[in-house]
Amino acid sequence: MSAIAVHQFAQCITCHAWSPDHSMIAFCPNNNEVHIHKLVEDKWERIHVLQKHDQIVSGIDWSIRSNRIVTVSHDRNSYVWNKEGADWMPTLVILRLNRAALCVQWSPRENKFAVGSGAKTVCICYYEQDNNWWVSKLIRKRHDSSVTSVAWHPNNILLATTSTDGKCRVFSTFIKGVDTRGSGTSSAGDTKFGEQIVQLDLSFCWAFGVKWSPSGKTLAYVGHNSMIYFVDEVGPAPSAQTVAFRDLPLRDVLFVSERMVIGVGFDCNPMVFAADERGLWSFLRFLGERKISSSGAKYGSQFSEAFGKLYGQSKHGISNDIGEASRSRGGIHENCINCIVPVKKEGQSTNTRFSTSGLDGKVVTWDLENQGDLSEYL
Amino acid sequence: MAGHAGFVEADNAEAIITRIEHKSRKIESLLKQYKPVEALKTALEGSPPKTRDERCKSANWIVVHRAIMAIKDVEGMFSSLDPEYYDILMKYLYRGLSTGDRPTCDQCLRIHEKLTERAGLGCILRSLSDTVNTV
Repeated sequence: MSAIAVHQFAQCITCHAWSPDHSMIAFCPNNNEVHIHKLVEDKWERIHVLQKHDQIVSGIDWSIRSNRIVTVSHDRNSYVWNKEGADWMPTLVILRLNRAALCVQWSPRENKFAVGSGAKTVCICYYEQDNNWWVSKLIRKRHDSSVTSVAWHPNNILLATTSTDGKCRVFSTFIKGVDTRGSGTSSAGDTKFGEQIVQLDLSFCWAFGVKWSPSGKTLAYVGHNSMIYFVDEVGPAPSAQTVAFRDLPLRDVLFVSERMVIGVGFDCNPMVFAADERGLWSFLRFLGERKISSSGAKYGSQFSEAFGKLYGQSKHGISNDIGEASRSRGGIHENCINCIVPVKKEGQSTNTRFSTSGLDGKVVTWDLENQGDLSEYL
Repeated sequence: MAGHAGFVEADNAEAIITRIEHKSRKIESLLKQYKPVEALKTALEGSPPKTRDERCKSANWIVVHRAIMAIKDVEGMFSSLDPEYYDILMKYLYRGLSTGDRPTCDQCLRIHEKLTERAGLGCILRSLSDTVNTV
């Protein structure tokens, strides 16, 4: 079994992030708070509640080296939380948005973070030593709709975004005084802030969940049309592959290696995509165990299941703790998965662990070790 | 879809109509030879016509409709229809269902059931979410 830990933290989780040593988890239980839990003697205990936002927290990222938490919310603000003594102290970052902030990610060097928003803009925030202040620089007039996801290239300069206008774009985020010339690759070193490197126009509907491969050579993102897109040679002449699959659309993706991608979404069960020796991507299998039933029966049961949910919502109480055998769809998650995060220690080359959270309020940790058929792609 | 040789300019409606007429004659002759699956493939090729012109879309729909209605053995059809046609066929099934015509709906529902078994919910999602290449 590839799921090594299942924990029901809340009724619904919008996003989650791990502390650098993975002893703590920060998540938003679908409200304006961020809860931090710590593993104490095999039990998760709530040790902090970060209360500063006014509306739902839509993104959390916890930096590995500097041990800082950044949160963004539908209230259009962002906070950077620093641990001072026993408490987490917030610093307000004024994003200058007129719509909700939707996603956030620290850059690889942790000197910048990017925020995607419903205002059709991306904010690149960096710390200004002189003023003791986080400054937000905006990339405007590039997106035709909300920015649903952001992903940093390992070179700390390039940023990929997906949007509900169906496009995936790559920008330069070079900031004078923060980045040094030649710090990235040669092609990225001489670009201006906000310059669009490429616009990928593969999807005709909403795009979500963009990620770079560990080396930054390949880009993957998903569409709301049950397709996943893989892009090589991101630049003037990108080469793209599209893979259509037979199940419900994905919301987020994660590269576990150059040749393997995990996709999570409305099918409640992580999907494994892998590239063969020639670099051709295809759907491999589901990661969780799945009831094997004839498809006809499956659709029938889904309908009755949906009706059951409609009329019997009250039975969805908070059932704390581990190991509740899932009844509904034969998977571990019982609702849409909308967040996938690597569980990675710094300096580790291969990473086989990741965690997922979703609308069912569970956080599931997965390990791909001992998955015989997948080991060749790691 | 399914690699048609001649990519047509969006405003070139007359050329599209001519091509659809040609396709229609080909389909008739295939149906006379009792090759309904070949006829359906021919109908789906080059569909949807890459244009916003409703006249072209209707003309193409009439041709596809003719081919869909000629399918008698649905299981047999899927054993020789390649998966590359699934997405576009799903779109035309929904167009058929939207007509409200009883025999058309019956036929489309029958094919829809088998197609969903084969191509999954993803196929339905693709046909619903694509608002650009409408049929």
